[in-house]
Amino acid sequence: MNQRWVKTGGLYLVAWFTVTIFSLPLLVMVSGSLKSSEQLTRDPYSLWPAGWNWINYPEALASMPFLVYLSNTLLLCTGCVIGTTLSCALAAYGLSRVDWSGRRWMFGLVIATMLLPWHITMIPRFVLISELGLYNSLWSIVLPTFLGDAFFIFLLRQFFMTIPEQLLDAGRMDGLSQWGLFWQIVIPLSKPALATVALFQFVITWNDFGSPLLYLNDPQKFPLAYGLERFVSSYGDQTNLLLAAATLFTLPMILIFFLAQKTFIQGISTTGIKG
Amino acid sequence: MSRRPLKHSETRAGWLFSLPWIIGFLALFVWPLVASIWWSLCRFDMISPPRWVGLNNYVRLANDVTQQQGFGQALTNTMYYSLLSVPLSVVIGILLAVLLSARLRGQAIYRTLVFLPSVIPVVAASILWLWLLNPESGMINYLLSWIGIPPQNWLNQARSAFSLETVEVLQNYTAGNPLKLFGSKDALILMTLWGVGNFVVIYLAAISDIPQSLYEAAEMDGASPCRKLLHVTLPMLSPVIFFNLVMGLIRSVQTFTSIYVLSEGTGAPGGSLNLISLELFLSAFSSLEMGYASAMALLLFIGLMLATILLFRTSRYWVHYRMVA
Repeated sequence: MNQRWVKTGGLYLVAWFTVTIFSLPLLVMVSGSLKSSEQLTRDPYSLWPAGWNWINYPEALASMPFLVYLSNTLLLCTGCVIGTTLSCALAAYGLSRVDWSGRRWMFGLVIATMLLPWHITMIPRFVLISELGLYNSLWSIVLPTFLGDAFFIFLLRQFFMTIPEQLLDAGRMDGLSQWGLFWQIVIPLSKPALATVALFQFVITWNDFGSPLLYLNDPQKFPLAYGLERFVSSYGDQTNLLLAAATLFTLPMILIFFLAQKTFIQGISTTGIKG
Repeated sequence: MSRRPLKHSETRAGWLFSLPWIIGFLALFVWPLVASIWWSLCRFDMISPPRWVGLNNYVRLANDVTQQQGFGQALTNTMYYSLLSVPLSVVIGILLAVLLSARLRGQAIYRTLVFLPSVIPVVAASILWLWLLNPESGMINYLLSWIGIPPQNWLNQARSAFSLETVEVLQNYTAGNPLKLFGSKDALILMTLWGVGNFVVIYLAAISDIPQSLYEAAEMDGASPCRKLLHVTLPMLSPVIFFNLVMGLIRSVQTFTSIYVLSEGTGAPGGSLNLISLELFLSAFSSLEMGYASAMALLLFIGLMLATILLFRTSRYWVHYRMVA
């Protein structure tokens, strides 16, 4: 009995220790964002700021064109979410519920594109985007999402396969074409899966740093992720402002995570993609 | 009688629905792959048209490797990072998953807190770790000081902990010099491990799928918790471990944003954070050597493929797929 008690106690101790280690960096971020720069140098380690310096937040926002960055990020997110959801749903339907001979090997090709690292396609894609005159335009990032993405096609295809054939047959009886079946039966039934795709794409675009680095060079077009990195180079010594900006940039992701925890966890454990 | 036109219209519908993806496949995958192979044999600066140079770019890459500069250094850096961060992520991921699957009060909260770091945008996480790893006033050195480890240089030091020079450092330490072990790549590994929650989620899902009867049978045989982990949990997890090894390898080789932010796009200090993806980006867009960069990308792709095939080959010796009754 006594031994058991020691064992459970030990387990709790290990669990608390681990959780503390993992949460500590976030606590440092939030508390650092609320310290004055004087306090940050004098007492960098306390997690409880002496005076709550909320002024850091407006100051951080004022030192960069925050609203411009934010509206660019939101534009990109909207465009990419629409693009990915639409194009991937179309392809996933064509590769699952339309009965044609090409669908098997074409699905194989979809999976094959996952194996190609971005390094190989980076330079030719850049040349292509420049040739199309999209360099330094938000379309350079939005347009490719209208052309499908292997992970999301895979995810949606798995979901579409679970829709009972009888439902589609009923639709065919009513004289629906493939187009009609897609919009009136499959799409309304697939809202949870489509929401998962939309959520993941939103997160991916919000976090995306590589594409704006490649395709944008006008600060008026920068999204937050890129603008924030530029902010590091110019305000590297004002850690409290940097931490405030980083906290603000992180907050929506944490909110989304708490609101859609189930979707997040399920999405990751079924496809293994990073949110 | 009506079959043929129906089949025909199905085929047409199939093509039409897949059309956006097909365009994307051709424009964003097939053409780029062909162009990369072609440009890797050319000198190409994007301003003038590509000029054929044969295998020059590959010879240059081979020279870089033998002289440990540019691509050679980036290759060594990438291997150091991948060979340490991937196995460590697997081991720590499994240990955390085992811990978090124990029936403890507040389990859901523990799981959330371990997962939370992996939702933090990489740019924000990198900014945070620049501060955490600050040699003078960063939290990491402060915590290490609690267990008697002297302050480390982290992102300000090119030499990493597992290198030949470390022997010298240890000798100097016994002679009374400060012990500066950990460098920039070790810092990067530490930051990567903080985001291990993604993998933990996958292990947790797999652990909850292990039939309880296996543990009960092991208990009947008098197995200790340690043996249960070794002989029940690990074999049952092996397909997921394999999946995470492959994914982890691919992800580690593609690491870009964190090293870019941590080194402000330079790979500093001393090129120690210059992994292949950054070297490739800089060769292409700062030196405008698209041909050379294309050759590098192809070599990276081939290397990654070979490593994946190797992993698949070894997998039959240690991955146990569950028999379907």
